[in-house]
Parts: sequence; structure tokens; C-alpha cells
Amino acid sequence: MNLRFFDINLYLGRPKRAVYGAVPSGQELVSGLDSLGVSEAVVWHIAQYDHDPVDGNALIAREIAGQERLHGCWTLLPPQTREVIREDFFRRMKESRIVALQAFPDAHRFLMNRITFGKFLDEVSERGIPLLVHLDRGNSYAGVYRLLEDYPQLTCVLCDVGIWGCDRYTWPLLEHFRNVRVETSLLALEDGGVEATVRRFGAERLLFGTGFPDRYPEAAMLQLRHADIPDPDKEKIASGNLEDMIRREQL
Amino acid sequence: MKERSKLWEEFYAKGRVEDCPVYDLHGHMGSFSGAYLPRADADSMIAAMDRAGVRMLVFSSHAALSSPDIGNATAIAAVRRFPGRLRAYCAVNPNYPDIVEAEVAGFDRYRDVYVGFKFLSDYHGIAITDARYEPAWQFADERGLLILLHTWGHSQFDGPEPIRKVAEKYRRVKILLGHSCHGEWQKAIDLANDFPNVYLELTAIPDERGVLEMFVEKAGSQKLLFGTDSPWFNHHYYIGAICGAGITDEDRRNVFCRNAEKLLGCG
Repeated sequence: MNLRFFDINLYLGRPKRAVYGAVPSGQELVSGLDSLGVSEAVVWHIAQYDHDPVDGNALIAREIAGQERLHGCWTLLPPQTREVIREDFFRRMKESRIVALQAFPDAHRFLMNRITFGKFLDEVSERGIPLLVHLDRGNSYAGVYRLLEDYPQLTCVLCDVGIWGCDRYTWPLLEHFRNVRVETSLLALEDGGVEATVRRFGAERLLFGTGFPDRYPEAAMLQLRHADIPDPDKEKIASGNLEDMIRREQL
Repeated sequence: MKERSKLWEEFYAKGRVEDCPVYDLHGHMGSFSGAYLPRADADSMIAAMDRAGVRMLVFSSHAALSSPDIGNATAIAAVRRFPGRLRAYCAVNPNYPDIVEAEVAGFDRYRDVYVGFKFLSDYHGIAITDARYEPAWQFADERGLLILLHTWGHSQFDGPEPIRKVAEKYRRVKILLGHSCHGEWQKAIDLANDFPNVYLELTAIPDERGVLEMFVEKAGSQKLLFGTDSPWFNHHYYIGAICGAGITDEDRRNVFCRNAEKLLGCG
């Protein structure tokens, strides 16, 4: 079986604290993906977190321009300040080939709830645009639970779910909210975590991610390749689910 | 990102490499309070080992780490069910010195089971230099056994400074630094270089890119041991990470099997 990998969780750029093997440009990332055997990726720029979402969003749009295998992810701030979210937001997303959103509320000092985001996240939900929630950066499980209470239809992708097994946090969300997905770069680390989640909720709920450059991409790749689940489920997780998600988006 | 290794290609294609069996020197068994562990029983763990070509796992049961009088018995039973695939560390909790002495006194009855001792000092709140550990240190040192330490950077209980003190005192015991003084990487390297009987164990290392490359460059792959905290962490995940690191296949073979075979006297 030859899996086609579509990575939903990696970033470009040099973090404040040095990371081994960070890749500064979209072009270099594509070369790296070739050597890894990763076909496509949803990518963000670390400046969106470390420096400023506005500058970082512009940077990632620039870096993926002309790189057909790379799709972008923008970082949100509260609509009230009009830094990121303005009237033409979704049109600009489409023009820049941005297919996903993310937010770092704890790091960027706002609350991720209906008071802050109002109808904007209703529209994100209706359009089927995935919101990536990185549990190791500026997000907490308590925050995700509150967010999904306010926006139960949101397509929410739990990324970087934790070094220790996270099923006690993620499974209630998978049970209650049908559009919640789990990214695998750390779920794959939990022995039997992918298999148990697939058996309980189905392979459709998982999306392949590497966590590059923080983690070795080969780790999640090898785990999925030899996971104790049927081959069609591996194909869904490796790329099929994300392809379907992006295809269904309405931008 | 770099050229693929032949070991990676084989592991990717088959899941296991016949001439490179993997030895996992840092495992556990059984349920644990802090997380749901889907594959924590002996049968599930053996099945997982088979999938990844893990020839042997050396472990201490989770129960033994809190209450050694009940937990070590489950480890003994598991090893005797799967001889040749499992070996155990006799877990020591120095908060119960009478049990420590009893475990040491009874150690030789389980030489088919135990390879040495496991200390979890950060969790027990007692430094590895404390007198309550001494019966186990002395016994292991006299016989050249293995002691797997949980180690963590900046810990007063099992960080680089207390490790240096015991390494200076006990020269025959093989001291395995579980997690390699996580975060104080250079001090872990220094310990491995200063003491021939100190080894760096890699659980939690592949989660952070670049550390393994530094260990190989500065301590040498002959001082590195593969470990996963199984059933916490997945063997293929860690094998993939080590295949992805910027080191050679010879280094990887040292990590996966050669060093462990020398320590365990098998292979």
C-alpha cells in the first residue's frame, strides 16, 4: 500500500526559540516534502504566532503563492479590532488560497467565544472552513469546550493534542460535536491511540499531521503506515479526509 | 530534511527489519491514573511489539511504581508468561525502606525476570543519593546490574547533579538515564562522556527534533539506548523519528539493538 500524505499541521519560518531544521520558505518546504514523500500540506507561518497575525498572514500568503501543493492557514483576531477580519475576509481567503483558520487566544490575549466572534464563526461554520486549534500554543481544552458550546457546528481540528494520552479530553468532544476532528502528529505518539479512536468514532474523524518542524514527520508517517486498522481507513486519514474537507468548503 | 535511509525504507515497507531487531529498555505495563492507555496489558503489548519488530521490552509495572509490593508481582507474572520477550526492572519506592530491603533480599529468586532496578525519584520525592536507595545501589553495583533512573533536567531528585554523585560512587552498575535529563541535554552528554557506565535513554527525546543529532555527535551512538515508555508511546512513532533524524544507519543500529544486546548479554 502506497499512502498519499496530505499534512494539515506544519509551519514555515524561524521561531523565536530556535527549532532544529526550520524551513524559512515555501519553495524549500516543497523540496523537503518531496524528500519525505508528503504530497500536499496546509501550512502556516510561525510569525502568525510569534510576531503578529497580520504580518504573518501576509507572509504565508506570499510563501504559498505559486506553490500549488501548499495551502494556507490564516490566524484570527477578534473582529472588533478589524486587524484581520474585515468585510472582504472570505474573498481574500479565496484569492490567497487559504483553506483553514486558526487562533491563539491565550497567547494573543482574547477569548474565543460568541461574545467575541458573534456571527463571524457562524459563517465559518456554515462555509465548512476548518478552524485549527493547537493545544500546545495559546489554547486550552477548557477553551475548546467553551468554544464548541457556542459554535456546535464548527469544523474544529484539534492539533498537537498533547504528549500524554489525550483521549479523556478529545473523546467527549468527538462524541458531542460531529464536526470535530483530531490531527494525528501527537495522537500517533499514543500507543494504540489512532486505533482506539478509529474503532470508537471512525477513521473519518482523523486528519494526518506531522507537527513539522517541531516533530519528525517520519514518526507519524510510520505509525500510520503500520497502524492496526484497515488500509482504506489509513488512506482516509493520510489524505482522503482532508481532501474531502477542502473540497466541501464554500469560499 | 535529507536523504532516506535504507532502514527507513525497510521499516516503512515492512514495519520491521529482520536484521535489526529493536530492544526497548524503558517500558511499563498496566493502567495509569494520568491517561487512558489503550494497549496496557501484556498480550496487547506483545502484539504491538510484534508489529514493530521489537524483540524485547524491559519494563516496570505502573502499579509497582506506586506500591512495589503489589506491582512487582504482576511484572514477574508477565515476564514468565513471555520469556525471551519481556524482562523487568524491580521497581523501588524508597518511601518504604522495609520493602526496598525485602525486594533486594529476594532479587536472586527472580534472576530470570529482573535485569536490575527502576527508580522514579521525581515522583517519589526522594533523591537518588538518599540512603534509603543504598541497598539497591550497592546490590546492583556488586553485580553489575542495570538501574533505569527517571531523570529530568534541573531536578533536585534525579537531575544531573545527583546523578554525578552516584556515578562517582558506583562504577560497576550500568546507569541508564531515562529521558536523558530532559532539557539539560549538554549535562546529560557530559555524564555519558565522563562515566563509561552511564547511558542515555531516549524516551521523550524524539519528541524534540535535534536533540538526538546532538547526542550522536557529542556522546556517540554507542552510549544511546532506545526506549518508549511503552505502553505510553508507540514503537513505530519512535522508530520513525529515529529514522528521520540526521544520523547514519550505523548509529540507528546501535540505538535500536547493538547497545542493548551488549548490556543485556543477548543477541
